[in-house]
Amino acid sequence: MSLDAQVAVQVGDFELDVELDVGPGEVLAVLGPNGSGKSTLLRTLAGLTPIDRGHIRVDDVVLDDPAADTFVPPEQRPIGVVFQDYLLFAHLSAVENVAFGLRARGVDKREARAIAASWLDRVGLADLAAMRPAQLSGGQAQRVALARALATDPAMLLLDEPLAALDVSARQDVRRTLREHLSTFDGTRLLVTHDPIDAYALADRVAILEGGRIAQTGTIAEVTAHPRSRYVAELVGTNLMRGVVTDGVLTTDSGAHVVVAADPGPVFAVIRPQAITLSLTADPTSSARNIWHGVVGDIERLGDRARVGVRGPLPVIAEITTAALDALGLRPGDDVYASLKATDITTYPA
Amino acid sequence: MTRRRGHRTPLPPPVFALAMVAIAFFALPFIGLLWRAPWGSMLDVLGQESVRTALWLSLRTSFAATFFAVLFGVPLAWLLARVPFTGSSAVRALCILSMVLPPVVGGVALFFSFGRRGLFGQYLDRWFDIQLPFTTSGVVVAQTFVSMPFLVITVEAALRQMDRRYEDAARTLGASRWYVFRRVTVPAIQPALVAGAVLAWARALGEFGATITFAGNFPGTTQTMPLATYLALETNPEEALVISLLLIAVSFAVLIGLRDRWLNGARAAFT
Repeated sequence: MSLDAQVAVQVGDFELDVELDVGPGEVLAVLGPNGSGKSTLLRTLAGLTPIDRGHIRVDDVVLDDPAADTFVPPEQRPIGVVFQDYLLFAHLSAVENVAFGLRARGVDKREARAIAASWLDRVGLADLAAMRPAQLSGGQAQRVALARALATDPAMLLLDEPLAALDVSARQDVRRTLREHLSTFDGTRLLVTHDPIDAYALADRVAILEGGRIAQTGTIAEVTAHPRSRYVAELVGTNLMRGVVTDGVLTTDSGAHVVVAADPGPVFAVIRPQAITLSLTADPTSSARNIWHGVVGDIERLGDRARVGVRGPLPVIAEITTAALDALGLRPGDDVYASLKATDITTYPA
Repeated sequence: MTRRRGHRTPLPPPVFALAMVAIAFFALPFIGLLWRAPWGSMLDVLGQESVRTALWLSLRTSFAATFFAVLFGVPLAWLLARVPFTGSSAVRALCILSMVLPPVVGGVALFFSFGRRGLFGQYLDRWFDIQLPFTTSGVVVAQTFVSMPFLVITVEAALRQMDRRYEDAARTLGASRWYVFRRVTVPAIQPALVAGAVLAWARALGEFGATITFAGNFPGTTQTMPLATYLALETNPEEALVISLLLIAVSFAVLIGLRDRWLNGARAAFT
């Protein structure tokens, strides 16, 4: 159960050119914003968009290889897809939706319904078999879509933004249930999402997609700890800057000077937002080697944390508790001092 | 009870007045017809052999025409909506031309192409022994010719509007193109299909010009209700009134009868 894909395809002005390997039993998240090519990638894997160059192999079976003139149409691929918005057929009940793929493959009606019913049971929706999609909640619809995709016993499961159609309050619960259900499927799983939290929660490995190219792949810990571009850093929520170190001082590309503990030369520097302290006055007695004046930009509250943008010579995002934020009374446009220990800056050679 | 203020917004008076004029414009002719209707002799007229024959012929031919309009019109709409090809707008214009053409012109065109001496009709006659003019089949051909465009444009619009990702989803589930068409596409466009078929049927039922030009006016074989009405108006206006009322009643009954189905279909549509 593995995927080996090298996909190059031109859709209008957009060019997708990526290489992906997903191992047996692994969950890969392809992370990228809208327009980065995630949906196009899924369509090529599912066979809905033929590729121009490269190859797609699942378990060493070639599904698409233009050079060898091989193309397996979507209905013959061993691939199940959970679409964004789930795309349940509105004129069929939940159980008929799940049975659809079996019926399409010629399984007789009674048997198909029995298998579909057992799948609905597995995702905890046995009671709702007769419901129409319009009567289901977002989370229920997602589970029906998952059951529908798995009912035909695919070797690989693709999920397109599985949580994007849900409202924020439902998302957390559904994410947890989805994770449980995904773990019971032992085939290859690939999901695309724009939300890093989905990737953290559901995947083992992440591939960051940027403008139709893979910017970086790795385990989630690797990518967050060592993002290789500003884009990846922003996506996974770290401050990344590029510059040159001379005599223990990093001169960033934006022209700021930061004291670091690093060898000379061009580097990437990563500053975890949690490492930055904010205060209303500069405290000269602090051990922090970097203290600079900035102006508060956007403030984003995430539960008990707040991510505060600090504009200035060294634009960064600081993550502090909302209690600290309220105690300081910070508002966008306020003056603020940011401080940072030199040892909290991770650098690696560029 | 809560007052639903938003739903009670009055129309601007001039708009309201014009809408009332429009309603009156549709209602008054029926009132005139009902007022002059010979209620006393109604049953006698309806009992006449000629009227019953014409009604039966009209129903048979209009439903046959609707059947052919659906059989050929849905694939045509699918082609126009889904397959990009050069000259598609010219093909579309050609296929709906008969909708805007004076029906008599359509009848003349049919006569010179499918008549016994027509460009194609001579071969139908010689090779297959098929004669269309002045036969009941000719009536169906004339009716299909003028009514199919109503179905084609309605279904084409629905095919263009439908969310094609549902078809993609069906294919990833293992459905062949034909299975997708039957089980996903057709249910999705069902409201439009029903609406288009009703429009086509109504047009076929009311067909006059092309029928009388191409198929003639023979009681029992080609004299449909509209033809009978027109003829009766000259000889026996009372009969024309009764037949007209009957046509109105039949059309109205079908529209009302289909209303529930329409609404149900609209709810099931993939939007």
